[in-house]
Amino acid sequence: MALSREIYSAFEDVVGREHISDDPAMMPAYHQVQFAAIVLPENTAEVQAVVRLCNRYTLPFQAVCTGWTGAFPKDILYIDLRRMNRIVEINEKGMYAVVEPYVITAQLQAELFRRGLHMNLKGAGSNCAAMLRGHGHLDQTTSGDDRNHLAIEWVTPAGDIVRSGAAGSTGAWFCGDGPGPSLRSILTSAVPPGVTPGVFTRAAIKLYHWPGPVQFPIQGVSPKYTLRQVPPNFMARYYSFPSVEKMWRAEIKLGENEIAFELMGFNVSMVASNITTSNEEDEKVFQQMQGEVQGPGFFVILAGNSAADFAYKKKVLDQIIRENDGRSLKSVEDPEVEGILLCQCIRVTASIRETFRAGGAFSSIPVMGQRDLTIRWAVGAGRAKEPLIAKGLIVDDGGAFFGWGVEQGHLGKTEIFCKFDPANPKAKEAVERWQKEQSERAFVERYFAMTMGPQDAVGPALANYHLWWRKVTEAIDPNHVSPEAGALV
Amino acid sequence: MGLEQYKGDMAMCCRCSCCKFIPLQRVEGHPYSTVCPSIARFDFHAYSGGGRLNIGTAMLDGSLEYTDKLLDIVYNCQMCGACGVSCNYAMDMQVQEPINEIRIRCVGDGKTHPALDGAIRRLRKQGSMVPASGPRGAWASGLGLKNIATARADVLLHVGCLTSYDKSRHALARAAAKILRKGGVDFAIAGDDEACCGGRAYQMGYERDFLRQARKNMAMIKKAGVRTVVTACADGYQAFKVLYDKYGLKKDLEVLHITEYIDRLLQSGELRLRRSVDLAVTYHDPCRLGRLGEPWIHWEGKKMPGDRFVFDPPREYRRGTFGVYEPPRNVLRSIPGLRLSEMTRIKEYAWCCGAGGGVLESNPEFALWTARERMEEAASTGAAAIVTACPWCEKIFRHAAASSGCGLEVYDIVELVARAL
Repeated sequence: MALSREIYSAFEDVVGREHISDDPAMMPAYHQVQFAAIVLPENTAEVQAVVRLCNRYTLPFQAVCTGWTGAFPKDILYIDLRRMNRIVEINEKGMYAVVEPYVITAQLQAELFRRGLHMNLKGAGSNCAAMLRGHGHLDQTTSGDDRNHLAIEWVTPAGDIVRSGAAGSTGAWFCGDGPGPSLRSILTSAVPPGVTPGVFTRAAIKLYHWPGPVQFPIQGVSPKYTLRQVPPNFMARYYSFPSVEKMWRAEIKLGENEIAFELMGFNVSMVASNITTSNEEDEKVFQQMQGEVQGPGFFVILAGNSAADFAYKKKVLDQIIRENDGRSLKSVEDPEVEGILLCQCIRVTASIRETFRAGGAFSSIPVMGQRDLTIRWAVGAGRAKEPLIAKGLIVDDGGAFFGWGVEQGHLGKTEIFCKFDPANPKAKEAVERWQKEQSERAFVERYFAMTMGPQDAVGPALANYHLWWRKVTEAIDPNHVSPEAGALV
Repeated sequence: MGLEQYKGDMAMCCRCSCCKFIPLQRVEGHPYSTVCPSIARFDFHAYSGGGRLNIGTAMLDGSLEYTDKLLDIVYNCQMCGACGVSCNYAMDMQVQEPINEIRIRCVGDGKTHPALDGAIRRLRKQGSMVPASGPRGAWASGLGLKNIATARADVLLHVGCLTSYDKSRHALARAAAKILRKGGVDFAIAGDDEACCGGRAYQMGYERDFLRQARKNMAMIKKAGVRTVVTACADGYQAFKVLYDKYGLKKDLEVLHITEYIDRLLQSGELRLRRSVDLAVTYHDPCRLGRLGEPWIHWEGKKMPGDRFVFDPPREYRRGTFGVYEPPRNVLRSIPGLRLSEMTRIKEYAWCCGAGGGVLESNPEFALWTARERMEEAASTGAAAIVTACPWCEKIFRHAAASSGCGLEVYDIVELVARAL
């Protein structure tokens, strides 16, 4: 439903004529949804003014950063945060960076490398917003963003500006919990339903030491970028194991010894996707690698702070692999392939090859938890994929799952997905059914509770968190204008 | 088939936004990390490569009617192909081709831009994309060059509309001729009979006008027995080499850009550059010599049934890999005294100059904005001059330099080569 001229003008007064539109020509590019209007605020003050207008006119809104994913009802106001794309601060001494929602990870990470710093990266890819809350390839050493978000600036659904932690009291961003209000339980999004209403307009991100070059020595022309040389004291390898148990034991040992810069439990299907430049080549390389591996495996990056540190880490790695009967995948030892993977998996530039390139869509079940438990569940979910592969409904990846260590293996993330052609209704239906069944199985068999699952079913098993959460959202969104936010996605 | 043939490709867009940035591995920081002038200037997702594909899909399913905003989106694009390169780093799908087809469809439906209509009227009447005054071959006056109407030659030098009719650019055409002559090349020109290549008409969406020019040119070339066309303009290069081939008109004609020919002459020793040119420069890759200058790939096939977006026979994509990137750089490196430094956005992911796709005609303010962005990037290298290999880039850069007061000099590569002879 179109906004009245009066309401449209009110928003126009805030963001300017150039930055609002309700023209039908805009909508196909915005998730094919007929929004009441799309607005592009430039700063927090404009976001606040927009949100206050939404309250005045009881107009629901949703805000996005890059807007890669999301489900949106029609007739709401779509807040596109694209114009908020500034790196506000990189504090080298305090080791944090403050960014606006449309700074993408690739931009911030490149700036950090120059300063000898790096950050947690989201597995979805460095095309995502840097302040996106998530997990990814570097979790082994950086943990996920439950730890990495420091102070956050949040425009509440009612239109108040709240700055958490140090930013709430001192104006500095170094801590999310104080001195000043800690809103971790609300802002972390780790608590189901996982998305805090309102709009996140700035966030401070914790930074880490980067032992690598200020810039990777890339050569070649897209899509085949290679490294002129593997940077000193860096190494990338893929190891396969005779059993899931041995792979997991090796993971635990790597964590205990704190030697892996990155530990990514890729399956070979994902390795093949990363190093190939087309679907046809991907299929061929995957088949070849399937024949080379002895079972499940993981990808490891070592990054030494010195030659001696690197030598030590390599020695420990070799011993762990040996003790668990691991075997290095020869094709990854090729320096060209090693360089491609090293750079891609630190910069996370090729996740789209792993997910969307094959069929155009994928459906995933991601879970956090103890790796031994979640892997056990994932093995079953992988087997459940096999009939779909046999029928040609999903891409053949060997039924594989993947995952990675978080905080040196104290926690872990396990994920499994199906790649398919969304234009094929049978495939879509089969994948949806698989997702539902495997999520339910996880809950029933007490592996984990899908936070995206039905709240009334999951909530009672988790201290009735859902009832508390509803009370919180009722309090912060009295006009029900922010049914779901998502500015951190 | 038009836009319909790209239905599957357009549906592959996953809205990842890679089309807005240079290939992610090439991002070196926050500045100069974006690649698409249109989304950078207009911000709404509809102006991005992915947004345009979404619009194409909606056009096909009939859910979208023409509005002023739709035409604003369609015509505010330089058709530079950068979005496609960034997308195709990871994805197997056509990007630039459906965007071309959207324009062609708009023109076919009579939904044109008045400024572009004016340019095409001129083309139909005067045979030129720029106002024609005086004879087209006037630049060659007094040089004593062979004309293919009266003499045989294997090589035809095609200088293009802008260079022919803009007197301030005649020196460029003369320099190109001087270089070829110095290199001992047996070449001719078409003089007053030279016809517009049609490339800019194609960019604007006027496919029929492009084809008329293409057929005219190829008939003349066939009649004259020319084996090689050398262009001094990136638009002309892409038209002869890529677009004529796409429409099955090029046959076995060899098409070279002047920088490729000079590089060849330098490599073989037939041309030597002896004079020093004491200048710090940076090189701008014209889109239609670089990423859009890679050869056309003829392919016919069908999607394989099943889960993957794969084809029988396998479909190859033009990802910008085989554009002309090294020859101009080789030429610049051969000039004694000249120092070349690179900008952040180069080769397949170079930022567009702003003048293409009819934007110079339909929205000169946007064209200039785009050029200024490039000039700022050029200045950030510390170079004293920006060098390009296309008169349209040179024209907009000169305008940007003058209006911004950035102090950068602007050169076409042939000027510097001629100076070094």
